[in-house]
Amino acid sequence: MSSSNENTTSSSGSEQSDSRNDTLDFIEKLSDVPMGKLPPHIDFQRTRVDCKADAPIHTDTFQYSGAYASMGVDNSLLDSFSSNFRVEVIRLEKDEMEFDMIGIDPAIANAFRRILIAEVPTMAIERVLIANNTSVIQDEVLSHRLGLIPIKADPRLFEFTENNAANEKNTIVFGLKVRCEKQGKRKGPKREGQEQDGQTRITVKSKDLVWLPNGSNFALESEGSSSNSSSKPKTYTSFTCSQDSLPEFSSNPVGPTDGDITIARLGPGQEIELEALAVKGIGKTHAKWSPVAPAWYRMLPEVIILKDIEDELAEKLVATCPVKVFDIEDIGNGKKRATVARPRKCTLCRECIREGKGWEDSLSLRRVKDHFIFTIESTGVLPPEVLFTEAVKILQDKCERAITDLC
Amino acid sequence: MDPQQPAEPVYYICGDCGMEIPLKPNDVIQCRECGYRILYKKRTRRIVQYEAR
Amino acid sequence: MELGSLSDPTQSTFSLVDEDHTFANAIRFTLNQDPRTKFCGYSIPHPSDNRVNIRIQTTGDPAKDVFKDACQDLMVMCQHVSNTFNKAVVDFKLSNSVEGMDIESDS
Repeated sequence: MSSSNENTTSSSGSEQSDSRNDTLDFIEKLSDVPMGKLPPHIDFQRTRVDCKADAPIHTDTFQYSGAYASMGVDNSLLDSFSSNFRVEVIRLEKDEMEFDMIGIDPAIANAFRRILIAEVPTMAIERVLIANNTSVIQDEVLSHRLGLIPIKADPRLFEFTENNAANEKNTIVFGLKVRCEKQGKRKGPKREGQEQDGQTRITVKSKDLVWLPNGSNFALESEGSSSNSSSKPKTYTSFTCSQDSLPEFSSNPVGPTDGDITIARLGPGQEIELEALAVKGIGKTHAKWSPVAPAWYRMLPEVIILKDIEDELAEKLVATCPVKVFDIEDIGNGKKRATVARPRKCTLCRECIREGKGWEDSLSLRRVKDHFIFTIESTGVLPPEVLFTEAVKILQDKCERAITDLC
Repeated sequence: MDPQQPAEPVYYICGDCGMEIPLKPNDVIQCRECGYRILYKKRTRRIVQYEAR
Repeated sequence: MELGSLSDPTQSTFSLVDEDHTFANAIRFTLNQDPRTKFCGYSIPHPSDNRVNIRIQTTGDPAKDVFKDACQDLMVMCQHVSNTFNKAVVDFKLSNSVEGMDIESDS
């Protein structure tokens, strides 16, 4: 488009216009300014973060669709998104997963990360009813510790307790009753190896929390507690049916994800008797409801050797890198050369370019702006792949809510 | 209302030996075993509710 | 909640409650990708208020439509991400279980 305009410039002084036309022709015939494709240095600026020795450059993303309109390049990612987007799972374990997302913008990747940490709901203990606590751990400290224990219950099977009473659809009740006997023998849940005398200290662990599928057993104190001969006294929860009669729970009993979490320690004669009510919530309200521990991403590192590094310098380079990104390659005649063997492991410590300007000119540390290495560590509530799917669903719900709010 | 005076005694804990001593109103404040005169009251039996935050 | 002028539907500010950077930055990205957008940005007036203001100025279409389309685009993107991810997880599990079965002799 613009080239045709330049050709029809008015001719004022034939010699000048001839030379100007010649230069214009020359510029147009240059092979490295093709229309429809970005020149390599601008493409580098668009897709790579260059990590120099002091600070990274080219760190912002060019999201505007018309950013390169003057070159005739459409910067719109959405059209090619479905064809360019890829996911590669690197590692998938019970509680941890690492996968790559390629072809996505940092705004969306960050949205997923934020939702994973703060907006995927889980169950956690919210109210603690203490009947007796003669241990050295104060009531509120004990309650705080109980709140932080991750609970293995699928939060999708529960509802949020808005203003309703605690019922079987939104609350899980746990009971804890432990006493450390004076002679050393302890009453409470049986445990191997602690029956002998002389046990002066008992450690209360999370496996001592007992799930009460029928609801709370503690009676609510009411003022008019006279001769109301009701067979069932009012408790803190109103369960209409027992939770373990529901099919989801009969096969997967509810409990803490890990039984080995220390809650308190008791000396002789001390006891704890309490009930804990767990409800559904999100990490934004309190961190105990966060399902990940945590989730993060980093951009794919790219290490490029600009000038050949040989022999002694190559050995030195391989020795400097603490994560062994570089390797030695023999190229015959007894000469060695450094190559990049594991760029993915680069942690950007910049040890390789720290020494002097010479190193910085021969090595280029970069990050690929649209390739994210996501790591999700779950606390055990839900498997990490389920967590990510839920996070995507939550972002979709947000969009829907915005659309319905508009109309 | 039933008369509270001669009803159930309240148990206190001796500061020295840790024994539970029942006391009635107008009793001498002294541990039965060791004679220590500082007694602590037991923790309430009421259910206290806390927010786990 | 849309705050715009009646005479000029191509530019307005959308004030969303109960939202923060999570949603606003993602929407800003999809808005930027739309060629009808002349300007878009978001701001959070005060961090204690849970409110986000998204400003859109378009080249001619009503701002409300462009915003709605951006939300739809984001939903489509999310769906595609979800599908690709699930497929990748299933493929990974299959390939791993195949290796596992080769090592163990019988099923």
